[in-house]
Amino acid sequence: MLEPLFGVLALFPSADALLKAIPQVKERGFTRLEAYTPYPVHGIDEALDLPKSKLGILVFILASLGAICAFLFEWWTSTVSYPLLTAGKAYNGWQAWVPVMLEGTILVGTFTAALGMLFVFNRLPFFGNPMLRSKAVDEITRDKFALVIRPGDGGLDTSAAIAALRAAGGQAIEVVPAPHYRRAGLAWWAKVTAGIGAACLVAGYGTAWAIRTFPTTKPMVEMENQPRLDAQAPDTFFASGRGMQLPPVGTVPRAFMPVLATNPDQGGKALVDPLPVTARVLERGRQQFDIHCAVCHDKLGTGKPWLDSTYEAQPTDLQSSTIRDASDGYLYWVISKGFASMPAYAADISPNDRWAIIRYVRALERSQDAPARDVK
Amino acid sequence: MFEATELPLPPAPASKRRRRRRGSDESFPESLRVEPLVQGDASLGKLDDHVRNLSEAKPPRSWYVALAITSLVGLIGVTAVGYMVYEGIGTMGNNVPVVWGFLIINFVFWVGIGHAGTLISVILYLFRQRWRNAISRTAEAVTVFAFVCAMMFPAVHVGRPWLPHWLFAYPNERRLWVNFRSPLIWDVCAVVTYFSVSVLFWYLGLIPDFASLRSRVKSKVKRAVFGFMSLGWVGNARQWLHYEKAYLLLAGLTTTLALSVHSIVSMDFASSMVPGWHMTIFPPYFVVGAAFSGFAGVVLVFAFVRTAMKLENYITMRHMDLLNRTVLFLSCVMTYAYLMEGFTAWFSSDSFNRYIFANYVFGDQWWAGSLTIFFNCVLPQLLWFPKFRRSVPVMVLVSAGVTLGMWLERYTIIVLSLHRDYLPSSWGTYLPTPIDFAILLGSVGIFLTLLLLFLRKMPIIATWEVKADIVHYQTHPSGPMEAEHA
Repeated sequence: MLEPLFGVLALFPSADALLKAIPQVKERGFTRLEAYTPYPVHGIDEALDLPKSKLGILVFILASLGAICAFLFEWWTSTVSYPLLTAGKAYNGWQAWVPVMLEGTILVGTFTAALGMLFVFNRLPFFGNPMLRSKAVDEITRDKFALVIRPGDGGLDTSAAIAALRAAGGQAIEVVPAPHYRRAGLAWWAKVTAGIGAACLVAGYGTAWAIRTFPTTKPMVEMENQPRLDAQAPDTFFASGRGMQLPPVGTVPRAFMPVLATNPDQGGKALVDPLPVTARVLERGRQQFDIHCAVCHDKLGTGKPWLDSTYEAQPTDLQSSTIRDASDGYLYWVISKGFASMPAYAADISPNDRWAIIRYVRALERSQDAPARDVK
Repeated sequence: MFEATELPLPPAPASKRRRRRRGSDESFPESLRVEPLVQGDASLGKLDDHVRNLSEAKPPRSWYVALAITSLVGLIGVTAVGYMVYEGIGTMGNNVPVVWGFLIINFVFWVGIGHAGTLISVILYLFRQRWRNAISRTAEAVTVFAFVCAMMFPAVHVGRPWLPHWLFAYPNERRLWVNFRSPLIWDVCAVVTYFSVSVLFWYLGLIPDFASLRSRVKSKVKRAVFGFMSLGWVGNARQWLHYEKAYLLLAGLTTTLALSVHSIVSMDFASSMVPGWHMTIFPPYFVVGAAFSGFAGVVLVFAFVRTAMKLENYITMRHMDLLNRTVLFLSCVMTYAYLMEGFTAWFSSDSFNRYIFANYVFGDQWWAGSLTIFFNCVLPQLLWFPKFRRSVPVMVLVSAGVTLGMWLERYTIIVLSLHRDYLPSSWGTYLPTPIDFAILLGSVGIFLTLLLLFLRKMPIIATWEVKADIVHYQTHPSGPMEAEHA
């Protein structure tokens, strides 16, 4: 009756002695051999017929995935999620993404190599390794070389193994018993669960206490609270008493040419629509009309406001003949300067958008009074 | 690597085995023999005991004194950072136009020092240079600690160090992403990757050493910690097979990383339009500079460590000689880079570019550029002499000079370029404040504190690598075939 055992172990004083012993032990019919050495001994993998490590394949696959993921992430953030125009470069200019792709590849590759070696190929951590309980383990990690005969399918003849190892020059021969694994019992799981639960409770109540005790405490505020003047704040330094100074008389904001005509009829003669006839202009006009105009003039320009009856002004019906017959320049002047109870929009709508709105108003007029030839 | 033969060779131990192998052949010409990298009556067990004693024995009084001083200096630096962040950036010398002051100089400086470990343990590993084995562990520690210091500076420099996560691309309520077209985000990715990979590589090398310390240290706490850190490593031949493969793969990948990190740091400069920065030579020039300062830093560390910790048998004068040769070689490459930089400026026919380079050496802060050239190009020429390569005072002088010179080089590049840009109306000047110096000194204090703790608490030599060397020199007493594996 053979007792359950991990193997029979013998120590050798040098790597050469170990390498010589391996074929001798093999000759006696023992095939499941394991060697333990204090440093990597070259040639031992051939002696033991160890297959080559496949770690390289794993690293190649995952490192390539790292590169692809980095590329896709950069592409998605730079062109889809948050397109940011920098120096007039195309959103999808991939050349600038290469450095981060390289770092991503290396980060994933190196961690795959290290963790894959430890966890996947070497099955570490393994604190239950029966070798750790052997007397020889301290010698192996120091200066001795061990050969272990593991039991094959039919078990192991311990005395024959001991004889073979002794014949090959092995010393300090020892029979390493098999590990006694115990399944984790209910009590163990209860302890672990209780421990994790207690840690969660402490962390949760601790955080809640900290948030309540220091609700608005901000560290190092001195650098944030710097003396400065906000745009709308009053100020005693300037004679005007304002924080933000008024621009000099006659200042014109960029892209906002002032309308010089003094009445709508004069404007109607002087102002000409500069925009090309494209679908984009109409689409822009629709958008701006719906934002600024539709609230009073209605989406179709009928002049029926969305506002309730307490709003007493009567917006102009844009479908009326007065407006149909008015020139584009006339409407432009009205939008820019305001008319009757309609306020001026020059500060809110850019000149091109005003023209686009007028183009859209014309389209609305046509839509409500379409000649038969428009309909097929 | 060819070896000079001017030194008396130690008697080669008699080879017990008569097998004819290259290197162990006794008919090998005497003139081609090299000094072994392991000296004295070394054995695997003795090495083990020595390394264990260093991490277990009570440190000498001088260690405690040194630790007290360095941690105090580090604390002063941390206090200075706290004061600066509380009071405002005005406490430092930064201004417009010199918006990058000491903080960025120190960042680039420490990143450079941090290239020592990877270059020594990774690139020399790929080149199968045996002399890296004894020094790689401490060099890797230098890398990790230098990066701890380096990463502090950008975090402080961004102005609001309580929001460091804004440096990274993470989903947020503002639906903003970082700008991947900016070299600054490449820099963040490169530095963070380099730091994590350095720590990983360091830990991977430590696993077999933790296993060897696991059962021999006396303190129960240490036994538990080392046992846990070794992950139950037992040195199975199959484990070693995968381990060496992983080590090789990491070495290959980390080489690419080491060369890319300082290239990317240099792009922070090269991709801007400042005269003196906007040059294609910057990436290779920065990588060489980093290697140069890194090797000098390692020489400086080992000049003290090898005698203080009685490692002369494992880190021999030949190791120092080889390190010093590398410093000399890199100094020559640096000199070439400086000359090419000057040539590019002259050849560009751009008056601003020409002016900025003349200004480095002859301008209002002429000492920065001139001392850079003296420390980095002139002083290391001493190392042409074999006697000086093996003299501790000279190597300390040279490598301290190089360390200072490389810091001054970054000062020259950053301050002297920024304070004279293309718009003469915005020219300014720069004067560092005591806070600047306190932060710089503090980073040195933090670095040395971490290094001192490492030297007395961790296995400072990769014993599993040096053990292979010991066996190699016992079986092949001397010969030029060092690169061949045992």
